[in-house]
Amino acid sequence: MRQNVPDNRQLLVEHILNGQTDFYRLAMSYVKNRDAALDVVQEAIVKALSKVDTVREPTYLKTWFYRILINEAMNHFRRNRNLVSLEDVMVDRAEEPRDPGERLDLYDAIDRLSFPEQTVVKLRYFEDMKLEEIAQATGANLNTVKSRLYKAIRKLKDMTGEEIDDAP
Amino acid sequence: MHPEMERARARYRAQETPEELSFMVRAAIREGDRQRKHRRTLRRSLATALASCACFVLLVNGSPSFAQAVYEVPVLGSLARIVTVTEYTINDEERVIDVRLPALENTGHTELEQKINQEISTRIQAVIDEAEARARESKEAYVATGGDPKDYMPVIIDVDYEVKCQTDQYLSFVVEKTETRASAYTEFYTYNIDLETGKELTLRDLLGPNWMETVNTQVAQQIEERSQDPDNIYWTAEQGGFQGIEEDQPFYLNEDGRPVVVFEKYELGPGSMGNQEFVIQAGD
Repeated sequence: MRQNVPDNRQLLVEHILNGQTDFYRLAMSYVKNRDAALDVVQEAIVKALSKVDTVREPTYLKTWFYRILINEAMNHFRRNRNLVSLEDVMVDRAEEPRDPGERLDLYDAIDRLSFPEQTVVKLRYFEDMKLEEIAQATGANLNTVKSRLYKAIRKLKDMTGEEIDDAP
Repeated sequence: MHPEMERARARYRAQETPEELSFMVRAAIREGDRQRKHRRTLRRSLATALASCACFVLLVNGSPSFAQAVYEVPVLGSLARIVTVTEYTINDEERVIDVRLPALENTGHTELEQKINQEISTRIQAVIDEAEARARESKEAYVATGGDPKDYMPVIIDVDYEVKCQTDQYLSFVVEKTETRASAYTEFYTYNIDLETGKELTLRDLLGPNWMETVNTQVAQQIEERSQDPDNIYWTAEQGGFQGIEEDQPFYLNEDGRPVVVFEKYELGPGSMGNQEFVIQAGD
């Protein structure tokens, strides 16, 4: 009935074993805490393997796993952000008035983007993913991904003074 | 790539990975395999126990057109079974919803069938409506606090069912709803039907008048046994752990027809322990 099932499990395990460092780094870049990052990766792996039989198309396994991982990371990220004072949440940090002379380092500036914007930037530039793959991994459509990336780059430019053009 | 981005990338890539990562990854793969097998063996053992009939149930669930075809086969047509009546997926910016909803067929007890089917569909619909309302609210709150609606990550709702036991006499299945937001939260509803009497089964029917005592003793004993493994943490009665089962404790029948009582995550121990299940042997 489903001959491809054992292969999918095998492919997923290979993908996880090969990419574990990437997954940990991505999780760490959001949650900024070693134990929390390990938790995120662990939960994503357990969830993905227990549900691997729901994936029909093996070519989607990679982005499907990223989607689960990003979801887990977002859950931690949101939970932690809820502990921050309300005032911090109300102000979009990217819009904060700054000393015109002050320029942020690009890496720190990425941290100040919204979760979905960070995700697009990290997957595009640090994980070398194609825009179509990012769309699958974030559950957004391609146009949303494009505009998100464009907006993120504009914000980064405001914060760093660097012109980081993307050539999709 | 822009030189600044090159530098940011190098900094990102230089994040140290802890030594225990690969160990943890392997452990997580084993745990994932275990949970996957758990989902599958229940289905498989069902298939072997009931040979062709159970296979048909699975196939019926898998494809509506096949269901239609099977219906025409006279022998199979007389069997009680569980079929998927509703299956849909909604995927938009606010929510990702996957629903597979079961219904009973051919139990020979029309009234009971209607009652149960009605109950499943109203209960699940209410749960989905509620989850959707929460999704909408949280999106509104997100936008009101300055978030861009386009950046909102959707809520994920999953409704599925699992047939736990099906014999000539009994039919037992569990409907599960998982909502993934701040953390994944799963609710489940169990249904156990005696096909001979056309009634919903209770633990009293299965274990006799002393059912509570029987279950309590066996659960306490199994908790004790499982606690030998240092990975298993149960709260003591003083900490809010096991203090006896409820009158309406959820249970299902396993493939051997034995009752399995289920405690929700957090009921007996920390959330990492997940749902806790105990197979109960008849006391006589």
